[in-house]
Amino acid sequence: MKNLIGLLFFIFGITSLSAQEIDGDLLKIKSRMDAINEFSAELQLDLDAAFINMPTKYASMHYTKGKDTKFSSDDFVVLPKRGLDFAFSELFEHPFITVDRGIETKNNKEVKVLNVIPTDNQSDMALATLYLDVKNERISASEITTKKNGTYALEMEYPDLDAILPSQVQVSFAIEKLKIPLNFMGSDTDIDRKTMRQMDTKTGKITLLISNYKIN
Amino acid sequence: MLKATRLSKTYKSGKALDNASIHLNSGQISGLLGRNGAGKTTLFKILCGLITPETGTVSITSNKHKPIGAVIEEPGLYTYLNAYDNLKVFSQIQGAPTDIGTLENCLKEVGLPLNRKDPVRNFSMGMKQRLGIAIALLNNPDILILDEPFSGLDPTGVASLGTLIKQLADRDIAILLSSHLMTELHKVSDDLYIIDNGKIIDHGLTQDIIDSQVTLYTITGKNIENANVIQPYIVQKEKNKVTLRCESTAISDILKTLLDNGYNITACIPNITLEQLLNPVSK
Amino acid sequence: MMLALLKTEIFKLFRESKTWYAIAAVLLIELIILVAAYYQGAEILDLLLDNLQQSFYFEGNLLNGNLLLYIILNSLWFNLPLILMIVSSSLITEEYKNGTLKTLMLQAVDKRQLILSKFIASLLFTVMMLLLLMATTFVLAYGIFGTGDLVVYLGTLNFFPSEEAFNRICLAFASGTISMIFFTTVSITLGIFLKESAKTWIASAFFLILSSLLLKANFGWGTVERYFFPKLTNSWQRFFEYEVAATSIIIDNMVLIIYIISVVLIGTYYFKKQDVG
Repeated sequence: MKNLIGLLFFIFGITSLSAQEIDGDLLKIKSRMDAINEFSAELQLDLDAAFINMPTKYASMHYTKGKDTKFSSDDFVVLPKRGLDFAFSELFEHPFITVDRGIETKNNKEVKVLNVIPTDNQSDMALATLYLDVKNERISASEITTKKNGTYALEMEYPDLDAILPSQVQVSFAIEKLKIPLNFMGSDTDIDRKTMRQMDTKTGKITLLISNYKIN
Repeated sequence: MLKATRLSKTYKSGKALDNASIHLNSGQISGLLGRNGAGKTTLFKILCGLITPETGTVSITSNKHKPIGAVIEEPGLYTYLNAYDNLKVFSQIQGAPTDIGTLENCLKEVGLPLNRKDPVRNFSMGMKQRLGIAIALLNNPDILILDEPFSGLDPTGVASLGTLIKQLADRDIAILLSSHLMTELHKVSDDLYIIDNGKIIDHGLTQDIIDSQVTLYTITGKNIENANVIQPYIVQKEKNKVTLRCESTAISDILKTLLDNGYNITACIPNITLEQLLNPVSK
Repeated sequence: MMLALLKTEIFKLFRESKTWYAIAAVLLIELIILVAAYYQGAEILDLLLDNLQQSFYFEGNLLNGNLLLYIILNSLWFNLPLILMIVSSSLITEEYKNGTLKTLMLQAVDKRQLILSKFIASLLFTVMMLLLLMATTFVLAYGIFGTGDLVVYLGTLNFFPSEEAFNRICLAFASGTISMIFFTTVSITLGIFLKESAKTWIASAFFLILSSLLLKANFGWGTVERYFFPKLTNSWQRFFEYEVAATSIIIDNMVLIIYIISVVLIGTYYFKKQDVG
């Protein structure tokens, strides 16, 4: 009996110990990220969604550790809230645990799949799946399910083997129950909230080309 | 100058003009006498080409750019413009001169003041008539047609318009004017057409027509009511004014006797009513 | 001769107080629409971008001069034609009413040229009004609300960069002017047929309402319906489709011009044929 209890404690201990652990590869990546205190870059945005037509847009961004990333543009730009968190600062902001899901091949590359689960209610994130490029110590893709803001998938491309900041990010997003007034600014301008078309879940992609990094 | 032959026009309300023929000569003032609704305006509109007759022809001998000038019914004017601008607008559209000198002459010719700069809507009927005539005379037409030009005018207005019309006839313009009042026409018109129910029922020199029909004369003169020679004829007697009933052949003898007796006669007006002309008594 | 007639028509038009009332009314309407457009624009954006805002950052201002111009464009096409139709039709009905048409016809004037000069005067007036309106709305909208991207919903959310939005709005004004000329031309022809101002106004308003009802109606007649005039009067809106179907819009406007010419010919023929007075 004592042994049994001991075994149980042992099992629980292992589980809890391993559950509280954060994957070592992720920690390495995190420390690389943490080394970046500030950077600025130029963005080129291409939005590809069936319900939105928008020309290619340009903006500049400025990241400072611990602060909200700032964007500026002469044009009107639509930026995915999640996709621009290249430093994954929001991901790592609140306490979390990771679960190793093994090795997968994604885009002809071996990647380590991790689930990131927040252990704290403060985080908007419900679950994240990260695809780690272990060899180059960086994240090659991620899927983040948020509590309020839907699901995002990010795919990163890097300019060279050493880079920690991507040169291209593709953000896939889905918006549920997009409401658009039927006759919005058509031949008559009356807006009737009741007649708004309930649209199905809409998906889209934003491709960001990031250049001209200035890292401090 | 103008010869209209056997004109007919029917409206929904009935026959407005029935085989009417008329001719005008230069320098001659012709009158068209008839009740309201007798067909005077319809005839004028046909003569001016505003409406097309069902039958009949209008032939005009003129080499003018605008052969006929006319004022039909009320003079149609741009009431928000002043007299000068009205003239200018109507001159411009037909290529008539629009310089200040010419336009001011046009105003003077019809006796309109040059210093009235206010819109025509403020004008009296007489002034509107005069402006209408000035517009009708633009481009020097050979023929002038005036529809009821005396209506709405006070006696002074009637007299001075009559003088103006006579002056125009002196310039060899053929003039045709209509009225439903004999008194207005007999003073100015050389010959007379009488129209009733769309038909021209009589035509001749104004004086002849009056002579053939008139039986009443009003004679004015100092103490005329006491003259012996007129006593058998008197129907009405006032101070210095009598109305006599006699044949037109007798009136000249009566007048001669009065003059011989030393009476100073200031006027002898034949009293003739439209009714008499429309329902002539054969003598 | 034609030129003299046209000059006279324009002179008379601008000497009539009615014309100035109409211009004042149009400018006042424009101002009211501008204010309404500001609040409406805010509401539309709020509504439209509400869902998107959960997922996206918006950088830049969408409630700008271009959006207001677009809303004004939408709001004008019912109010404006009515006023322009009243002014245009009075070019002929006032002449009937005051007997001046008779005076005109008693001068050495060609009937056909006279009525054509009225059609052209109305065309010029319409173009002038549109230019005035365009200039003032541009100044007000850009002056107060600045420039920026234009967002339009026509089946999809279309975003246009400021400069492109400006070009599209200019083209829409140009195309809208042709629609406007169609309506004013119709009102003159109605005036020729009806002669009386009030009757013509009622007929004009009726025509306008009918057009806007037919614009929304769908009969499923295919090509016939495509070239049916109410649909054509709305072709300015097609400049806000993401891909501008230039050829198709040009064809639509050409067909509308053919309608305009036909209406002029019908009006001229009837005017020439009918008795005056």
